[in-house]
Amino acid sequence: MDNAEDRRRLTTRLTVLRVSIGVAFGLLACGFWFFQVVHHGQFKAMAENNHQRTLTLRAPRGIIYDRTGKLLVENRNSFNISILREHSKDLDRTIRVLAAVTRVGERTVRDIVDRHRREPSYRPIVVVQDATLAQVAAVTARRLDFELPDVIVQEVPTRRYPDQDMAAHLIGYVGEASEEQLQSDGVTSGAMVGQFGVERVYNRLLMGEDGAKRVVVNSMGREIRTLEEVPPTQGRRVQLTINYAMQKAAEDALRNYGYNGSAVVLEPQSGEVLTLTSQPAFDPNAFAAGIDRATWSSLNTNKLRPLQNRAIQGRYSPGSTFKIVVATAALEEGAITPDHQVFCPGGGTFYGRFFQCLGKHGYMDLRHAIEKSCNTYFYTVGNMIGVDKMYKWAERLGLALKSGVDLPNEAESIVPSTEWKQRRFNERWYPGETISVAIGQGALSVTPMSMAVMMATVANGGTRVVPRLVKAQDDGSGWQPVPATPSPFPPFAMKPETLSAVRDGLWMVVNGAGTGRRAMIAGRDVTGKTGTAQVISLQGRDRARGKSEQDLRDHGWFVFMAPRDNPEIAGVVFAEHGEHGSSAAEVARHIIDTYFAQRDGQPLPVLTPPAPPAPPTPARVTAAATARPSSLDSARDALGIRRRAEAGRNSVASARRSLGPQSVAEPR
Amino acid sequence: MFERRLYHHVDWVLIGAVLAICAIGLAMIYSTAGGAGRVYWTQVYALGLGLIGMGIAASIDYRSLADKSHWIYLAIVILLIGVLFFGAVRGGSQRWLDLGYFNLQPSEFAKAALALMLAKMLGEERHSGLVKRDLLIAAVLTAVPFLIIARQPDLGTAVTLLPILFIVAYVAGMPMKYIYAGLVVAILAAPIAYRFGLQEYQRERISTFLDPAQDPKGAGYQQIQARITVGSGGILGKGFMAGTQGQLRFLPVAHNDFIFSVLAEEQGLVGVLAALGLYFFVIMRALDAARLAKDRLGAFLVLGVLASFTSQVIYNITMSAGLAPVKGLTLPLMSYGGSSMVATLVGFGLILNVRMRRFTN
Repeated sequence: MDNAEDRRRLTTRLTVLRVSIGVAFGLLACGFWFFQVVHHGQFKAMAENNHQRTLTLRAPRGIIYDRTGKLLVENRNSFNISILREHSKDLDRTIRVLAAVTRVGERTVRDIVDRHRREPSYRPIVVVQDATLAQVAAVTARRLDFELPDVIVQEVPTRRYPDQDMAAHLIGYVGEASEEQLQSDGVTSGAMVGQFGVERVYNRLLMGEDGAKRVVVNSMGREIRTLEEVPPTQGRRVQLTINYAMQKAAEDALRNYGYNGSAVVLEPQSGEVLTLTSQPAFDPNAFAAGIDRATWSSLNTNKLRPLQNRAIQGRYSPGSTFKIVVATAALEEGAITPDHQVFCPGGGTFYGRFFQCLGKHGYMDLRHAIEKSCNTYFYTVGNMIGVDKMYKWAERLGLALKSGVDLPNEAESIVPSTEWKQRRFNERWYPGETISVAIGQGALSVTPMSMAVMMATVANGGTRVVPRLVKAQDDGSGWQPVPATPSPFPPFAMKPETLSAVRDGLWMVVNGAGTGRRAMIAGRDVTGKTGTAQVISLQGRDRARGKSEQDLRDHGWFVFMAPRDNPEIAGVVFAEHGEHGSSAAEVARHIIDTYFAQRDGQPLPVLTPPAPPAPPTPARVTAAATARPSSLDSARDALGIRRRAEAGRNSVASARRSLGPQSVAEPR
Repeated sequence: MFERRLYHHVDWVLIGAVLAICAIGLAMIYSTAGGAGRVYWTQVYALGLGLIGMGIAASIDYRSLADKSHWIYLAIVILLIGVLFFGAVRGGSQRWLDLGYFNLQPSEFAKAALALMLAKMLGEERHSGLVKRDLLIAAVLTAVPFLIIARQPDLGTAVTLLPILFIVAYVAGMPMKYIYAGLVVAILAAPIAYRFGLQEYQRERISTFLDPAQDPKGAGYQQIQARITVGSGGILGKGFMAGTQGQLRFLPVAHNDFIFSVLAEEQGLVGVLAALGLYFFVIMRALDAARLAKDRLGAFLVLGVLASFTSQVIYNITMSAGLAPVKGLTLPLMSYGGSSMVATLVGFGLILNVRMRRFTN
């Protein structure tokens, strides 16, 4: 070294360097301690969040069968394409690329993303539901190129309804869980839950439990390996009370004869619903992976209202079928015996007004009055017992109030009473009103379901049943019966003479000189009653607006049970604009025929398409012209009889065949 | 040239510590590169080559080297200029000379060359202290390679030349008033430089460093990921090859710039302290060589080499913890990179050189 001063300075400055470096290393050690010890938990969580992704494994919903074990609803796998914003570096670009690749409008994609913007970023936003294979392939290819690291393709179980629109209103459909539904436990965002029908009511059974998969992903979002997998639990299998063959028969027959409307068939003892249809229907497959807006709005704006379940939401005037209630009430209240006779001169004057009957029936007892649907008889008997007794028995039979079937949004059937009128209109009941009510006119408004319950009550001897749709469920350990909810209606037995008289009358309607002959099946003892629900008087104003003739034709009812003794089935067919109950009767015939054929192991009946419309019948015109609105229903009933007489005295089968087309094509 | 008795003065402890660091680096490269692949073996070869270079650098008396330092300096400058014209372009910058079997990064060697040049220049001054003229010449000598490297552009490596100038000037007796003046100027100039002297992306890096959350997916991404990597390691780490951040590529260039983060993740605070300790030991041991050096030339040479090494180590480790703006700066001895490894070991060869010749004339 050159000199001592230099040496000293060097030593000093070396010491300064030494200390500086020491301090720097000390600070570094502190920094690492701070991150690795003090804030370790926080960074550990962030690291896991970085590379671990929890994917929801959607549980397949439970499979639904009919009572005979026929599959009604199953699942298929579909693909959802979603954006996982957590991994987005440039969301805008992702939206652009994804829209181009999947050929979905960029605006649409942006809207979807905007709608979910507030959700946590680790939750995938489903952009394309039920993607096509081409879309899946296109996205997957881009992912391999690391172009869309924040887009994932997930396989999800999706509902499949193999019979399309069959029993659509009953089975219902699924849809993305609403905000409200998300509140209930077990439902996560984006989950498909039941929104209608059995899918909705028994959602808890059908839903199952979603599983989860924790996977390791790399910085490009690609899955490296699975850390943990909790497999989803499929929803329970559910067996409905529905009989597939009968359900199909009902829908086929309605379509075959060209009617919209509804059919409900119950097992009278248990209240199990064997058939429940509403036409026109919709295809629940359209909802399975999220319905598109166009389909949804067309379903909603369709004038025929395919989303309405007419069986429980459509309310119509019961017409002559209400005579069953009047007859039962009069017999049970002891006002008359079955042999009580009334003379029918073609009508009767009550409270200073003439009420018409459609025929001059002469002396009639109850059985024949039912068979001929004689208005005079029921005016008289109804007047004897009064409206409140009629209401009492309407409720007891099941025609009034809600049936309590396990479907949502059931409408309440209305049968008037003095109390009802006071409550509803704050008005006194006028005895004259009773006369109209006695033949099913006036302020009566009932659902097909309540009609079916009424027939079930008559069929089982007096106990009003609560219709039910689910027979059994299976959580994987075997079928367990689903117990019926306790009925609010106590068991009841009507007098044997009441039952035999009413049943005899109804049997004669079909098998004698009545209006329901089209429902006759040799050896099956079908019993039933036709009815007509007026459309004109209710919607008279629509005529001025130029509604089509079809829209103004009356509705046809046919309520039935079979066989007469110890009935096994009871139900109703409602043929919208069917003009007359006999049109509904031919639909019912096919259902009943199918039931017995299946029960006895015979080949199921086949429908023959109706022949083209026949020319107008003069007799029909006359009848319509003479019929007053208040007794129109009976006019139709009478017409049925007359036609049948015209058809000749051949075999029943040939009569039915020859009459079928005429009825369908009834002109106005 | 290599006398037998010199052998006894070789600082085997320093060599051992250096090799230990290299071994840790190799292990981490093995881990992040997913086994003994091309990257790993390249590093092993570089280590072997570096040890040979170290031997050569230690064998030739540093005073003879210093006599030829201007030629070495000139050669490097020519190589650097050559890179500007013939260099291979990778990742947007031109730093490498493609020599067929391997790529040479002359800027790495510029550090040792500059240290040698400055040591010779300032160490052989007859007069005491440091005069303005010396400082000016030293600054110019530094500025030439600095500007060429910055043109590549590789500002990171260029900046590592500055500590060589400062430290050598400092120990050479730069008056304290210059140091204070320099500090004042630096503080005043920083905002101006930030505003006008930096590229947009460089400004962005600095501003995201101050608040990485403002752009967590962009420029702040690496910094946040670095902190997560380090922090999630905990005290004992996630285990060899079991890190998630590095293994799954959340951390970019894990085997390179962020190798220390990977060490922190997989070996935890224990591994970090061990590596920090080794580096600290190596630096202190080398400082000893400077203190013991026979002459000013030797002391300055050691300090020059050590200056770029130490500053790079401290900066890289700080950056690895997400505590400094991200720069493309490797961690000497550990990061993947052949030229860096060879150049660093050659530098240590010079340090060994000085130390083992402390008794010779």
